[in-house]
Amino acid sequence: MNSLVRWFHQLGSPPYFERFAARWAPVAYLVGLLVMAYGLYGALFVVPADYQQGDSFRILYIHVPSAWMSMAVFALMALYAAIALIWRIKLCEILAMACAPAGAAFTLITLATGSIWGKPMWGTWWDWDPRLTTELILLFLYLGVIGLYNAIDDRRNAARAAGLLAIVGVALLPVIHYSVTWWNSLHQGQTIRLFGQSHMDPSMLPPLWAMVIGTHIWFIGSLLARARADNLRRESGKDWVARLAEPRA
Amino acid sequence: MSYENYVIAAYCVFAVVLLWDFIAPRLQLRQQLRAARLRSARANRNTSNEFPLSRN
Repeated sequence: MNSLVRWFHQLGSPPYFERFAARWAPVAYLVGLLVMAYGLYGALFVVPADYQQGDSFRILYIHVPSAWMSMAVFALMALYAAIALIWRIKLCEILAMACAPAGAAFTLITLATGSIWGKPMWGTWWDWDPRLTTELILLFLYLGVIGLYNAIDDRRNAARAAGLLAIVGVALLPVIHYSVTWWNSLHQGQTIRLFGQSHMDPSMLPPLWAMVIGTHIWFIGSLLARARADNLRRESGKDWVARLAEPRA
Repeated sequence: MSYENYVIAAYCVFAVVLLWDFIAPRLQLRQQLRAARLRSARANRNTSNEFPLSRN
């Protein structure tokens, strides 16, 4: 058997996943933190102030990566949920549900930092603008997934119900993305592009990309740590969990 | 720095939420391991007291 396929099958085993996550979650947290530290240093001390927005534009370095993460994590959650529903892979249920709190955290950061930036730039903390409103709906969807998962006692049924909500909710993602194009919006249009030319001075971009990469790596750490906790919760009656919990001599 | 308070507030929100994101799974993990330890201790106690009134 191909070693990659064998590794993938092994990863589906709860004790193997426990060992894998216990090993790699701290590494991902640390690397994510270091990359973000580099990005934050550049964002706060290296990059010059914007000629119109002054230093308030530095909020962008945490707002934009968080906004991208809020949508990417939801898409990933829906993907895991779909795989779990179709192939009944327990680990995918666990990973889908582990995505929700981390995604909600990034959505909360997006809304809060956008609001803080909006006060000096727009003169208001909040506006029922299409981009802001759809992002708020995304937060409610995340909370709905978390709530539904915790409301049903049977873990597998809970994950299926919450996963279905995640799959349905993925329809919101293009609406969020194109909201600034489809409607007249107070929120600015697309400034930074992954592919193609960004409408931002190149000197301002490196810390932003560092933050984008850093938040992705941080999320991997968070995903593994949360999945590890849920894996132990589901396997609580098994011998390998009891052995793991035994105090080491 | 212009708009200093707004920049500090935004970065504080970022730091606090990520700190929660780091701590919350660790607490859950600790709780699960503690529950497993207690379950294991209870199971051991039950097996040792299986026939408390037996003369054998």
